[in-house]
Amino acid sequence: MDKDFARRRRRELIVAFCLAAVAALVPLFVKDVYVQNVMVLTLMYAALSQSWNILSGYCGQISLGHALYFGLGAYTTALLFTKFGVLPWFGMLAGGVLSALIAMALGYPCFRLRGHYFVIATIVIAEIGLLLIQNWDWAGAALGIDIPVRGDSWLKFQFTRSKLPYFYFALALACVAWFVTWWLEDSKWGYWWRAVKDNPDAAESLGVVVFNSKMGAAAVSAFLVAVGGSFYAQFVSYIDPESVMGFQFSLLMALPAVLGGIGTLWGPVLGAVILIPLTELTRSFIGGSGRGVDLIVYGTLIVLISLALPRGLVSLFARPKFFWRKAAVR
Amino acid sequence: MTITRRNVLLGATAAAALAPIAARAQTSEVVIGVIYPLSGASAQIGVDAQKAFETAADIINKNYDFELPLAKGEGLSGLGGAKVRLVFADHQADPQKGRAEAERLITQEKVCAIVGTYQSAVAVTVSQICERYQIPFISADNSSPSLHRRGLKFYFRAAPHDEMFSTAMFDFFDAMKKKGTKIDTLSLFHEDTIFGTDSGNAQTKLARERGYKIVADIKYRANSPSLSAEVQQLKAGNADVLMPSSYTTDGILLVKTMAELGYKPPAIVAQDAGFSEKALYDAVGDKLEGVISRGSFSLDLAAKRPMVGKINAMYKEKSGKDFNDYSSRQFMGLIVMADAINRAKSTDGEKIREALVATDMPGETTIMPWKRVKFDDMGQNNDADPVLLQYVGGKFVTIFPPQAAVAEAVWPMK
Amino acid sequence: MTAETIIQSLASGLLMGLLYGLIAVGLALIFGLMDVVNFAHGEFLMIAMYATFFLFAFFAIDPLLSAPLVAAALFVFGAVVYLLIVRFAVRAKANAGMVQIFSTFGLAIVMRGLAQFFFTPDYRSVTNSWLGGKTISVGGIFLPEPQLVGALVSIAAFAGLYFFIHRTDFGRALEATREDAGAVALVGIDKNRVFALGWGLGAALVGLAGAIMAIFFYVYPDVGASFALIAYVTVALGGFGSVFGAFAGGIIVGLVEATTALILPPSLKSVGIYAVYLLVVFVRPRGLFGSM
Repeated sequence: MDKDFARRRRRELIVAFCLAAVAALVPLFVKDVYVQNVMVLTLMYAALSQSWNILSGYCGQISLGHALYFGLGAYTTALLFTKFGVLPWFGMLAGGVLSALIAMALGYPCFRLRGHYFVIATIVIAEIGLLLIQNWDWAGAALGIDIPVRGDSWLKFQFTRSKLPYFYFALALACVAWFVTWWLEDSKWGYWWRAVKDNPDAAESLGVVVFNSKMGAAAVSAFLVAVGGSFYAQFVSYIDPESVMGFQFSLLMALPAVLGGIGTLWGPVLGAVILIPLTELTRSFIGGSGRGVDLIVYGTLIVLISLALPRGLVSLFARPKFFWRKAAVR
Repeated sequence: MTITRRNVLLGATAAAALAPIAARAQTSEVVIGVIYPLSGASAQIGVDAQKAFETAADIINKNYDFELPLAKGEGLSGLGGAKVRLVFADHQADPQKGRAEAERLITQEKVCAIVGTYQSAVAVTVSQICERYQIPFISADNSSPSLHRRGLKFYFRAAPHDEMFSTAMFDFFDAMKKKGTKIDTLSLFHEDTIFGTDSGNAQTKLARERGYKIVADIKYRANSPSLSAEVQQLKAGNADVLMPSSYTTDGILLVKTMAELGYKPPAIVAQDAGFSEKALYDAVGDKLEGVISRGSFSLDLAAKRPMVGKINAMYKEKSGKDFNDYSSRQFMGLIVMADAINRAKSTDGEKIREALVATDMPGETTIMPWKRVKFDDMGQNNDADPVLLQYVGGKFVTIFPPQAAVAEAVWPMK
Repeated sequence: MTAETIIQSLASGLLMGLLYGLIAVGLALIFGLMDVVNFAHGEFLMIAMYATFFLFAFFAIDPLLSAPLVAAALFVFGAVVYLLIVRFAVRAKANAGMVQIFSTFGLAIVMRGLAQFFFTPDYRSVTNSWLGGKTISVGGIFLPEPQLVGALVSIAAFAGLYFFIHRTDFGRALEATREDAGAVALVGIDKNRVFALGWGLGAALVGLAGAIMAIFFYVYPDVGASFALIAYVTVALGGFGSVFGAFAGGIIVGLVEATTALILPPSLKSVGIYAVYLLVVFVRPRGLFGSM
């Protein structure tokens, strides 16, 4: 069994590497900026969803408030840059660290909450963050922050027309998030989380260590999401509270993982690859009717997939893996 | 796709600089992009806007005997009678989506100009993209004053912005005061998104400059489930004028809640938005007799300029509504843009920009009460005089400025 | 700030709070019965408001009269949603919690899309209803009649619900199913039927709330969003599953909202509600009246 496991892990790593390499080549053939834009978003959501999955999927702490960290990342970077001239790369780091610290401070009281009490607490906390920023005049309040773009620069991480730098950054972020997840799966934390998820009573005996590992998961998850937020601020070069901290962002981060397969290594990637192009295309090509057809299509899809494939779309590909996991737990 | 490798490289290496996206040959068709919220909470605005733009395109493409640029004759004469084709895109009130759609319209649909966007936040990103691709953008109905102050070369706004609108209100107050009406105190009531914040800031500044006292400055959350507490504070302030900056939903709730809590200010002078929407008057029109709203359009003009009534009838046939402050500005946005393209005799972004800069359209040839359309070096038309309209007997009458007024203001309101 | 301002705010807050309770109680009921949170609850409210509006616009039936009709229609709708969607969601073999959240959430999106498709995104309002715009003044304190009637309906609904759960056969079946779904099957109660009826009842209650709301609120496809989060917080504050908790939670939310608006800028008034929720659950992780 152990040997199989090690081999499977190595195979996953190789597959991931190959996929990343193929993805890296795609822009050489696809030159259309609209399509490139969709690809950047897809990779970004894959990264965000992968990060969300660490806390909500593996740890079982369903958060619908991750927009808070996304917004913190975006705002830290944009504010540091526009107010103090700090380069976005440092802003990115600062936003990530700040978010990780806040995630731990919030996790401390919140991890005592169970089920829907926890979910609603996360929604409500993100909502408080949104309202505070929306009323904070120094940070632009509702007007948001318009990041001045003066030509292409890697130093300032801004590019007027080219999507390629953003594409490769998003790809790298997605790879990092994937790799962190891959590494956590086989770590001590990963084992505890699996044990706790499958058997809540085990949580009692593991007690403090599990609590600490959850704090760790929250910090890692928030850090990565905040980096995603910083990226988004640079990518769009304009942020406002509603569009980076709104509730819909929390949902958009969760959806790819949920549809692809929550608590799985490949779920978020698969979910993002299907969902994001689909939403972009439905909006662009049938949303213009003004009749809500895109919403109907999108919603129906969510209902159907979540009902028909509770383990997500990955279960279509990876049945044997689940047999293995079941056997290992029981 | 026809984006050449050269263009991609250029885009990747230099600031948007010298690269018009692709040489556009003269065709029988001129494609203009229109970006609006067509789904989501403000979808109705987008749906109405669609009708306004279609009306404008119809007038341009077919032969009408109006004193409006491009009405006579079919299509754009400067481009050999080329027809205007509109491509609509949905931004769902999201700046990122607006940006992506603008890029799609420019690179895939090959639009030569873009008009939008209702939400000011989306106008920020759409105009950024237009700047990068050197495609002219007309901000048809965005009223945030910060928009034209960003040093963009391809940004144009024919309509007034919030400071101009608010200035008109304070001019009106000053005029009323001279006539002996008591106006000393004001209550501001504005929502917490860009529109309300900008409007509140402009009004606070003007009140300070002109010596009016603000007794209540209520910033509230848009789409609030209840406004009782807010109205309570307005009532406690008991100002001479209540100045709401609210969209339709909050406007309806505000008026209902005011009636329920027995609050009746001597006058309401509204920053348009919800207060020019038919839905608001359908819902609570009976409680709004005498309300004053700023606007850039007035059906009263139809008496002086018959084409205003006729064009309004065309729009009404499509949408079931009269032109309001938004749909009229949208209509004019497309006319101004098409006029520039016609004079540019080209669909090249830079040439259209030059034509826009050279625009000098007399007010009489528009459907608006404007002096004329002429852009300053920031792309703002400072001759777009706003008007104040009063809701009397189920319709709006123009009460200010004097040269456009058809009636005296009823003050206090009933 | 005068005493009158404070009393008026509290009175408005109390009336609104009772309505919040009525909006939320269906959610609490369904959760108590089967541990499912309906993330389309706000859209149920939206449908009820549209139903009220159309009954008024086309058949001139006043919202007060149409309220029972709307509640009945929503009853059927709720039961159908259970049978078509939720029944399968609770059967999910994996990630049951997640499947419930996202299947009902997907339903919410579909309902908004359908509303936009069939009813257009226009804003509608019931005008000139019997109670619309009428208000009673008691010693300078204004009590709007629609909200006043709403509050009374809410109290009556809660009382009726209490009686129903504790005194009728069906109520006992609900209680029994909630306590042990396996055991009731042995005594010949069809679990699915009870659940369907429970969903119907929960939806009917939000239908009642929607009919009252339509008197003084506008209707459009996204209207549910304004109330959904408040409803979730109300229910969680009172304790999921506790009908009385929803009642108390509603009143608390209404009062906290009103008082926060007196102290902070009104745009931050929801912060008060959210902060109180967090304080309560940090001290009592199952809400005020949730079973421990």
